[in-house]
Order: sequence, then C-alpha cells, then structure tokens
Amino acid sequence: MKPAQPLSLQTRLLLLALGFATAIWVAAGAFALRDAQYEIDELLDGHLAQAAALLMVHAQGDYDDVFDTPVLQKFAPQVAFQVYVEGILSTRSANVGVEPMVTQPDGFYTVLRDDGELWRVVITREREPEVTVLVGEKVESRQAILWALVRSLLGPLLVALPLFGLALWWSVRKGLEPLRALRGTLAQRTPQAAEPVSLKGMPRELAPLVQTLNGLLERINRMVQSERRFTADAAHELRTPIAAIRMQAQVALGAGDDVEERVHALQTTLAGCDRASRLVDQLLTLARLEANPATQVAAPVDLCAVTRRVAGELAHVALARGQELVVQAEVPCAVAANEVLLGVLVRNLTDNALRYSPDGARVALTVQAEPGVVVLEVQDSGPGMSDESIAHLGERFFRVLGNEQPGSGLGWSIVRRLLDVYGAQAQIGRSAELGGLSVTVRWPVAPSGI
Amino acid sequence: MRILLAEDDAMLGDGLRAGLRQAGFQVDWVRDGMAAERELASGVYAAGVLDLGLPLKDGLDVLKDLRARKIITPILVLTARDAIPDRVVGLDTGADDYVIKPVDLIELAARLRSLVRRSLGHSQETLRHGAVELDSASRSVWCRGERVPLSTREFDLLHALMRHMGRVLSREQLEQQMYSWGHEVESNTIEVHIHHLRKKLGSEVIQTVRGVGYVVQREVPEA
Repeated sequence: MKPAQPLSLQTRLLLLALGFATAIWVAAGAFALRDAQYEIDELLDGHLAQAAALLMVHAQGDYDDVFDTPVLQKFAPQVAFQVYVEGILSTRSANVGVEPMVTQPDGFYTVLRDDGELWRVVITREREPEVTVLVGEKVESRQAILWALVRSLLGPLLVALPLFGLALWWSVRKGLEPLRALRGTLAQRTPQAAEPVSLKGMPRELAPLVQTLNGLLERINRMVQSERRFTADAAHELRTPIAAIRMQAQVALGAGDDVEERVHALQTTLAGCDRASRLVDQLLTLARLEANPATQVAAPVDLCAVTRRVAGELAHVALARGQELVVQAEVPCAVAANEVLLGVLVRNLTDNALRYSPDGARVALTVQAEPGVVVLEVQDSGPGMSDESIAHLGERFFRVLGNEQPGSGLGWSIVRRLLDVYGAQAQIGRSAELGGLSVTVRWPVAPSGI
Repeated sequence: MRILLAEDDAMLGDGLRAGLRQAGFQVDWVRDGMAAERELASGVYAAGVLDLGLPLKDGLDVLKDLRARKIITPILVLTARDAIPDRVVGLDTGADDYVIKPVDLIELAARLRSLVRRSLGHSQETLRHGAVELDSASRSVWCRGERVPLSTREFDLLHALMRHMGRVLSREQLEQQMYSWGHEVESNTIEVHIHHLRKKLGSEVIQTVRGVGYVVQREVPEA
C-alpha cells in the first residue's frame, strides 16, 4: 500500500484554522439558539398566561352566554382556547373540541393533540365562580421563530466561511513565503556550492533550521575537501613511483650493451612496481578508514596473537636485511578492535621500524598488560627521529628527509587513524633499550576477556 | 651538455640520471632544494631539471630566488603537481618548461636540448660552421656532407664550442661543461681532444686564443 503523503504545511494550517473557526462558530450559534429558545418560551408563555388571564376576567363577569370567537385572521389556526364555567364549556375557539386540551393542575404543558401537532397549553382555574381557562399555541410557530434565528446565524456563515478560507489561504501562503524562498535557494544550489545559506531576513522560526543546515553543509564541505585533498595527494604520490618505473624501463631499453646498467634498471623497475602496489594498498586502507570508521566492529581481540602473526609475516623482510626481530608477547591481552585492522596497525608499526632501521638492526615488539591498559611497544636500534620529525608524523605523505627507503609517509597516517578509531594513545620517543625509535601504544583493556 | 638534476626520490632520480646520461647529457644529481640552488647558481650547467617537492627548500622557492639573483640558466620543472594553477605559477616564477610526471625520457631529453638551444639564441637543432654541421639530437657531426665519427668527449667538446659560437671558452669552462661530478680530468685532456677534432675536421674550425682558451668563430653572413 502506498503510504499516505504527509499533508503540506499550507493545507495543514488551512484545515486546522477552518475547522476550528467552523466549530467555534457552530458552538457559539448553538449557545445563542439555546438562549433564544429559552427567551422565546419565556416571552410567549407570558403572552399565553396573559391571554388566559383576560379570558378568566371575561368569564367571571356577567357574561354567561357563549360568544362567538373573534376572527383571529391568519393566526387562528396557530392559537386555541377553552373556557369552562362550573365544569361546562362556555367558550372555545373553532379549532378545538369540547374536551379540555389538558386536565393537569394549573401550569404550562406541551402536549400532542388530536391534530397530530405539538401544542403549548396553559391551564388556570378560579373558584367562586368555578372557571377553568385553557389557552394553547402551536409549538411549531415558536420553532419557526427559532429557525429564522438559525437561518440568520448560519446564512452569513455559509457565505463567510469560503471568504474566510480564501483569506486564510492567502495569508498562509504569504506567511510561508520565506520557506518557499529557502526551498528555491537550496534547489538552485550546485553540489559544489558549500557556502552557508544566508541568515539575512530569515524569520525566527526558520533561522535555527537554516543554522543546522549550515552546520551540516560545513561538515559535508569539510569531508569533501578532505576527500579532494586525499585524491590530489594520492594522485601526486602515485605519479612519482610511476614516473620512476617508466624512466627505469626506458633506461633498460636504452642500455644497449651495458648489461650492468640494464639489470640495475630492470631491478629498480620491479622495486618501483612493488612500491606502487604497496602505496595503492595503503591508500585504499586509508580511504576505507576515512570513509566509514564506525563500521569497524570492535570485538575483543588478543593483541599478543596478532603481534606474533605479524612478526611471522614480516620475518623474511628482517632476515633479508640481517635484522633481528624479537617478539615478547606471551600473556593474552584483549583489546577491543577489528582483528584485520589491528593487524594492519601492528604491521605498519613493525614495517616502519624494520624499514627505517639499518641492516643488522634490532627491532623489538613487546605486548604487556598494565592495570587498565594493554601496551604495545615497538622499539628499534635505528637512527631514531628528531622532535621536529616526530611532530610531523601522521601528516599524509610526510617523509623524513634523507631517507633512502621508498615510502609514502602513509603508514603513519593509517596508524593515526586506527588509533583514533579505537581510542588508543601513541607515544613516540627514543628507545632507552635499543637507542632507536620507540613507539608505545596504549589501549584501554577490552570490557570482557577472551 | 651538463645538466643539474634536482630530485629527492631515490628511485626516480636514479632513473632520470641514467636515462639522461644515455641521451648524452652529463648529469649531476642533487637531492634537496638548498643544494639545487647552490649548484644552479654556479653557472656551469647548460640547464636544470627541478622537482618542486624538494626537501629543505621547495623547488618554486629555489626558482624564485635564482631568478631574483638574475641567474638565467634554463630550468625545466619536472613535477607531479599537474593542476593548471600550479603550472601557471611554475612558469610565471621563471620556469622555462613545465613537465608533468611521468615523463618520457626521449621527450625530456628533447625538451632539455630545446631549452638550451633557445637560451643560446639558436632556432635549429643543427649548428653549422663553415663545412661543419652538428646535430645535437642525433649526436652526429658532418663535414662537407660526410659523417665524421667522433668520440663522446670529442662531440661534447665541439658541441660546447659550437653552442657558444664566437665566445672564447677557457679550459676550465670546457671541463665544467663536459664532465659531471666524479670524473677526474687530466690537465691536458682538453688539448688532446682539440688535437683530434682538428685532425678530423680541419685545423681552421677551432681556433686557439693564446692564454685564454678556444673558440669557434661566428661566421660573417655572406652578403
């Protein structure tokens, strides 16, 4: 089933206002009618009583003959009366029989008579001589007055309501003008336009909405900027290894009889390919991390196991350069992280240590639990880093000057990003034990053990 | 021709140096901006290949400062910054050419030759003096229409003299233009090469200015 389209603000306002206006009008009318009915009854009952009194006076006089009823013209059918003297009908109007209309005690009554009409009847009795006077009036005639009143109340309403609705529609439309203007402004925006929507002339009700929107625009803008910078940086960074590969391949082609030169160029070409593919891997990892860090599910992972696995994977790198890779990670230490990403982090740190330490250097990975935290320490016996260089670490593509090793400076960006995601802290300094760089990462202990 | 290469990336720098050497250039390679500026200011280079993202001093700053010091050595900027504004800034700062990485080696060599040629006021790749013709792209020399086989050094020496036709070049200047770093030059090397060139091309092409150096005279156009 198609979900009902929510009402437009304009329709909603119109319906509410018109509905309430009609309800109030009708209620006011109802009250007025009730009041009027009461007043009419009061007045006309008074008249009935007065007529009865006149008849009574007349009957008690010395007129003992039945007189002809006066002509009551067009009102004749509407009114009726009976006068009984000593129990015998002495006078009556033409539209009433011998039987008294009511037999109840003195007072006002509404009765259904033989003619099928409702009558309002007053009955009054006197002794000495005993006279009973009844005066009746059709209820219908009273209601005619009420209906006239209702007509005069509702008639204008029927004319006024559409007019009122029209005026209301126009006012609402006019009142919602800023909203439509805002919509127009937003609709005309290109996706590139990130400047905030102007708050000038914005009504008080819309200003907070626009401010929130501007906040969102700013955040999106920041994200887009960061994406753009990333793409530009990535393209820039990929060009250099590709340029190197191309150049070396051309050198190999042009080497002619110089076997040594050709072999060197071809080997460098291969190294360049490795470097480019590593860079692509890193860029993709970083892009994924930046795109959606929240999707990285964190479950308790044993950092020791991950560290041992990474050390195993990188052992051949260390061996090739005569480096010693020492792992101290015996007691399982749980940290809340994604196992794959945790591996990426440890791998980056270890890879950096191996890469930037000289041949034959020593790299030590230590995992230990301290109260409330799990600590991973990566130390090397390499040249270490200046304080200035440490400060720049984690800026994309920052590389330490004079570094012979091919690298992009992306490894640290990835490490930084992962640390942020998992709320871990990193400390970089000089290794007291090995004399080179020391990177200490502290994780909060995972809530539940392994 | 001696070229200064300023490139901080080890792999690319290594390739560029090897490639440009294959193309017949003498290449000196520096890895940072300060060294690039110092070397280019020395005036011994026919041209410079300058990366922009250099450590210590950015390539653009090097370029700006060199031009401010009225050093007009032609400079080809070789960079990964490909945005149009970057190119405009590079050229406006004083670059003679702006090439985006990755670049074809043959094209790079041709652009460098063209830069040097233009900086010396030549319009063609072929230099001519009397019956002698020299083509720097194919590194070949003709005399009276016949190809004259020359060694690399002989060609470089003749090329240096013919590039600066009419200008007397001292032995030191010639050595500087012909040899990159790491080459020991014997004191009589230049004299030996001059001797060979005269034997191959005739003695009238290269003239000795005693106590100063050597010159290939500019020809007076025939009326």
